[in-house]
Amino acid sequence: MWILSTIALSAADPGWFDSSKLPVLICALVSIAIVLYTTYDKRSRKRFKMREIAGLKAVEEAIGRATEMARPLIFTPGWGGDIQRPTTIASMNILGHVAQVTASYDCPLVYPTHDPVIMSVAQEVVRESYLKAGYPDRMREDDISYVSSSQFGYAAAVDGMISRLKPASIFLLGTFEAESLILAETGNSVGAIQIAGTDSTIQLSFFIVACDYTLIGEELFAASGYLSKDPSILASVQSQDILKVLIVIFLIVATIFATVDIDSTWWRF
Amino acid sequence: MRLEARHYTFIGLAITVVAAMLVGYQPEVEPSPDTIRMYEYIESLPEGSVVLLSFDHEASSLPEIRPLAVALLRHVFSRNLRPVGVALLAEGTGVGYGLMRQVAKEYDKTYGEDFVYLGFRPQYIAAILSMGESIPATFPEDYLGRPFAEYPILSGVKTYDDIAGVISVADGSFTQHWIEYGHGRYGVRISAFVTAAMVTTYDPYLASGQLHAMVGGLRGAAEYEKLIGIGGSGARGMLAQTSSHLYVILLIIIGNVIYFRARQKGGEA
Amino acid sequence: MQRKIPQLVCGAFGLLLFALYFSNHPQARALNGSILSEYWQIIFAFALLVGVVSFMKVNLKSIERGKDRPYRIVSLLGLLLMPVLAIFWGIRGDSPFTWVFDNIQVPMQSTVFALLAFFVASASFRGFRARSVPAAILLLSALLTLLSRSDIGGLFSQFLPDAADWVRNYPSMSARRAILIGIGLGSLTTSLRVIIGIERTWLGGDRA
Repeated sequence: MWILSTIALSAADPGWFDSSKLPVLICALVSIAIVLYTTYDKRSRKRFKMREIAGLKAVEEAIGRATEMARPLIFTPGWGGDIQRPTTIASMNILGHVAQVTASYDCPLVYPTHDPVIMSVAQEVVRESYLKAGYPDRMREDDISYVSSSQFGYAAAVDGMISRLKPASIFLLGTFEAESLILAETGNSVGAIQIAGTDSTIQLSFFIVACDYTLIGEELFAASGYLSKDPSILASVQSQDILKVLIVIFLIVATIFATVDIDSTWWRF
Repeated sequence: MRLEARHYTFIGLAITVVAAMLVGYQPEVEPSPDTIRMYEYIESLPEGSVVLLSFDHEASSLPEIRPLAVALLRHVFSRNLRPVGVALLAEGTGVGYGLMRQVAKEYDKTYGEDFVYLGFRPQYIAAILSMGESIPATFPEDYLGRPFAEYPILSGVKTYDDIAGVISVADGSFTQHWIEYGHGRYGVRISAFVTAAMVTTYDPYLASGQLHAMVGGLRGAAEYEKLIGIGGSGARGMLAQTSSHLYVILLIIIGNVIYFRARQKGGEA
Repeated sequence: MQRKIPQLVCGAFGLLLFALYFSNHPQARALNGSILSEYWQIIFAFALLVGVVSFMKVNLKSIERGKDRPYRIVSLLGLLLMPVLAIFWGIRGDSPFTWVFDNIQVPMQSTVFALLAFFVASASFRGFRARSVPAAILLLSALLTLLSRSDIGGLFSQFLPDAADWVRNYPSMSARRAILIGIGLGSLTTSLRVIIGIERTWLGGDRA
């Protein structure tokens, strides 16, 4: 109904609705409807079970290792992102869980970042996690710090921290660019166990070579539900699979049309 | 300090690159279809067209970015196009301005009449979207602090609709932001000169037409220099790049020989 | 209440920007423009101030404790020196700011960037081993791509660049597209969870 009324409105006043974006609107509304349905429908919550993700399963192991070795743990979100990027939000979700575990193990958590907004949000996330774990006094605010907005200033600063602190575990989760391999190789050289994940396909290949565990593609975004076991978040992850199936069906149909009827263009929008 | 295997690989690479730089031989390169496409795109623009050049890089990548940017600017000025420079990264601001002035001098171009530099705007996504709404509102003044309205070259430039296209000179993911927000939201034509490491990231966008044309890395710069008929640092750096590739190939072969010999003996390399 | 207000603001702005995407009306575009060019920039400017204060605080504390003192002093000197040079002598032409930028910052940054080449060499040496059939295929693709980009004066046959382009344009690109679709869908669900308020970790936790 909402789509129809929007189209009607657009016809009456074309200025308020850009009709060339109608296909995008329909796709967006279908996607939103599927996400909302899976999130709030209790039956679909029960049916859903998430597969094991090795990188996320290793989170506890990485923190345990740092605690046993009495060495800190470094968590950094990369240089490429800012707070409005979903990847950064996904990284924050994992940070919240990691901080809760480090709080209970009393393992120092060092979080260098290139963005002051990310720093402020990370401080809040970590503070809340330490509070939830029941150890607010163990939180060291200065360990969550802004180092430099410059890409290689940030890379040099984090590299320096890795070389001096010799962390037992390193989490490279967020939006990474050319600094990814520099950080991952330095982490490798100090013998740290490394868990990485990013939305950049080119940096993923570097992480796969240099890190112990790599979260590929949507695994990074599913982490929040996986770690928290929150049923509504877990269920929303299910919507990704439904949307993927729809995209595959669309691709197959479009491929058939493009092959059989070369002049067809309906699938191009 | 005890030298490990990786230190020897580092020393070997340094010797290879320095030796290649000292030789000074410039190998012949054949322009690739991607580079030819960019050349033809610039050639197809009518004289006097305004093109937005976005210097989306930091100082760190200057050795690779400079040959690319200089080749592009030489072609743009020789075709009597009117480039308008902007920067989405603070560090690229001074670099972009310096490069434009340097190449403009070679072609006797006057600042404000033949080209202009608007400077830096923080928060790249906001800046790209904001220019789609109004370029004068996003940059009320140019890099030199003079009002936007003062320049005749900018008199008809209000939004992306008034420019021929955007060419992003980038060392990271900023071209992707131009594609997602500039092209996706406002339909402006995006092309790019990028560092070699980023080429594969943008291949899917190039194939889908979301990115109009792309020139990548030092090799791309050398190819472009050949097309415009003016030699530059792209061609000069080709031997060093080629030698380092061959060195890495050698390392991979040695690594595998060690691995298989160790496996034969029952161990793991 | 402390979380409710930011949550409501987030939801409202999320929906507003979503709706504005579909409109070309001058009023909608003006609102979009002012959110993007004014609000966003103002928030960033204040946040940068918070970052700089935090940077100074952390470094001063470390100097006081004697921890990594030389590094911290250099960092603070850099932070103070550049604005002073910019304020007194400007940032254009032959100013001292430009001199420091061209002769100190550019070489230092390029040096860190150049480390990438060394790490690519060491990672290739360690990582590209034909341990299994898929690893061997990956190894061959890497060798093919490297060789195709190392052509000196047509030394190798045209088959190499053609084969490398085929690998790049078909198997490699299909895999990357699949990953990109997954990332796009992941971004969509994460953003929606934030907008509708079931994901609140970014507010310091307290999931719904």
